Amino acid sequence: MKRQFFSAATATPFVLGVISLLALAGCGGSNSSAAKTTVVSNTATLTAGSGPTGGIVNGLYVTVTVCQHGTTTCATINNVQVDTGSIGLRLAQGTLGSVTLTPILVNNASPLEQCTQYGDTSYSWGPMELADVQIGGETASNIPVQLLGQISAPASPPSATNPTAGGVSCLETTPNPNLLGTPPGNEDTVATLGANGILGIGGFIFDCGNSCTTVSFTVGYPYYICPNGTCQAVGVPTADQIVNPVAQFTGSDNNGVMITLPSVPSSGAVSVSGTMNFGIATRTDNALGNAVIYALDPCGNFPTVNFGGNPYTDTACNNTGTGMGGFLDTGSTALFVSDANTLKSFGIFDCASGTAGFGLYCVSGGTATLSGVNLVGFGGVGSATISLNINDATTLLSPNNNNAVFNDLGGDSVTGGGGSPSTDSWDLGLPFFLGRTVFVGIAGTAMPAGVNAPNGFVAF
Amino acid sequence: MIDYAKTILSALLVLVLVSAPARAGLGQPEASVTSDQLHMKSEHRVQDFQAYKLHELTNTEGAVVREYVSPEGTVFGITWHGRSTPDMNQLLGNYVNNFATATRDQTQIRQRRGITVKTNDFVYTNFCRMGVCTGSAYAPKLLPSNVSVEVMR
Repeated sequence: MKRQFFSAATATPFVLGVISLLALAGCGGSNSSAAKTTVVSNTATLTAGSGPTGGIVNGLYVTVTVCQHGTTTCATINNVQVDTGSIGLRLAQGTLGSVTLTPILVNNASPLEQCTQYGDTSYSWGPMELADVQIGGETASNIPVQLLGQISAPASPPSATNPTAGGVSCLETTPNPNLLGTPPGNEDTVATLGANGILGIGGFIFDCGNSCTTVSFTVGYPYYICPNGTCQAVGVPTADQIVNPVAQFTGSDNNGVMITLPSVPSSGAVSVSGTMNFGIATRTDNALGNAVIYALDPCGNFPTVNFGGNPYTDTACNNTGTGMGGFLDTGSTALFVSDANTLKSFGIFDCASGTAGFGLYCVSGGTATLSGVNLVGFGGVGSATISLNINDATTLLSPNNNNAVFNDLGGDSVTGGGGSPSTDSWDLGLPFFLGRTVFVGIAGTAMPAGVNAPNGFVAF
Repeated sequence: MIDYAKTILSALLVLVLVSAPARAGLGQPEASVTSDQLHMKSEHRVQDFQAYKLHELTNTEGAVVREYVSPEGTVFGITWHGRSTPDMNQLLGNYVNNFATATRDQTQIRQRRGITVKTNDFVYTNFCRMGVCTGSAYAPKLLPSNVSVEVMR
């Protein structure tokens, strides 16, 4: 079974991609009816479930085809995590099989390496290479992707305890070896990622952008070259930086995505299938319809969520605190909302250490319903209320329940000091997407007519 | 006269550098904030509240660290926000060992997004998404009795 994580099929043309190339080759000719029949599919099939390793709850996955630029030498990689909370395609070790890509070389032919330390102290580290990326018939041509762990440079990126000679570092927290494998925290394999890769399609085009065209900061900096095994930080043009593949799609379906997932029973489901349509309001199959459009703040969040008489404000974005407002994130496994102390009148509490739901919310007295949750868009563009159900995580995740997809899994947002609305957030993870169609509009792309959202938007 | 003034300034600077404790941050004396300030190359603002003092460090990279100091002069809590998580080896003081040795039962992980460590004498939480990280660390046993953890923002 473990061999089925991916299929690296060299010289296997991706049928729709080839059609799209043929269609492009026909551009400049007449508007023949034949050209209209070769419009690429903008729909990819999604699977929510336990992932390639079987240990994930509420994982969302898609198949991505990665090709040597301009060739039909491709690897078709399934179980790539769909993540609206990050930017860029990152592939786990071994998923390309024998397919090789084009390294991005900078400063006298040194391969460009990228490092990200994640919030849980784990990190990714590997070279940036160029590839054609095909998803559901759409193609992003010759874009930078990251090959996790496939590195000839030092095994560990520059850290606060071992920075570059110029004092620049990526890892600021030493990962705990008790928690995060060997070497601690390096997420570059299918096992450590719980996926064959990460497809980051959040609401920005670039992960770093103009802040990384020069080395404009020294703590948590992502781009390095490591000639002779010694790393130095480098500024890189945005064309060489990790990028949202959707924003780079050829054609017009590049301003965002529309994700549709079915609902599941309150006890969950083993897995479900859904769709991801590319583009927003670019075709008949990705129209906004009656969806409420919420403009997001410069950090990609709802600036305010109101609940129970308390505002939950994105104070981190306006530089006044550690709150993060709210956000929609397919890469979050649960509804990490508010805190257990604030929600105790609903019977909600933090599941005890050692139970199946540890790290999530438990509930006494049956399902808790949080109604009247008011999401507010940036500049007041978009405001509506939603209702969330939270069920007992220790019951849902008990070993005799094989289900891996839940719409009612919750947890403490604990993004700040004491667990109070001023430091909490509303992280609406995958459970929120079940039974909904959700649009994620990318900042800096062509907005649908009438949408005023300079920092991107979400709609549902 | 000018040279004399310069010499005094240099001497003062050396004094500050030398007198900064080797360990800074959580659980350390208030004076250790100076060490963190130098490490972060940051501006330093102090606010006096009735039951605690708040030192706010802000640098040109947009990192903000707030250190909360008890009337006894001990840093009992720290919060941060900015592009990245700041250097925890600097800010956690000796509590960095609590972080490094926490067990699974003491640690809640939100895959790639965040981590919370809770032990009897150390509570740590950090969360990052889309280029913004926020977090806090405090020592419950050092918290002044009349101060709520909610003051740490």
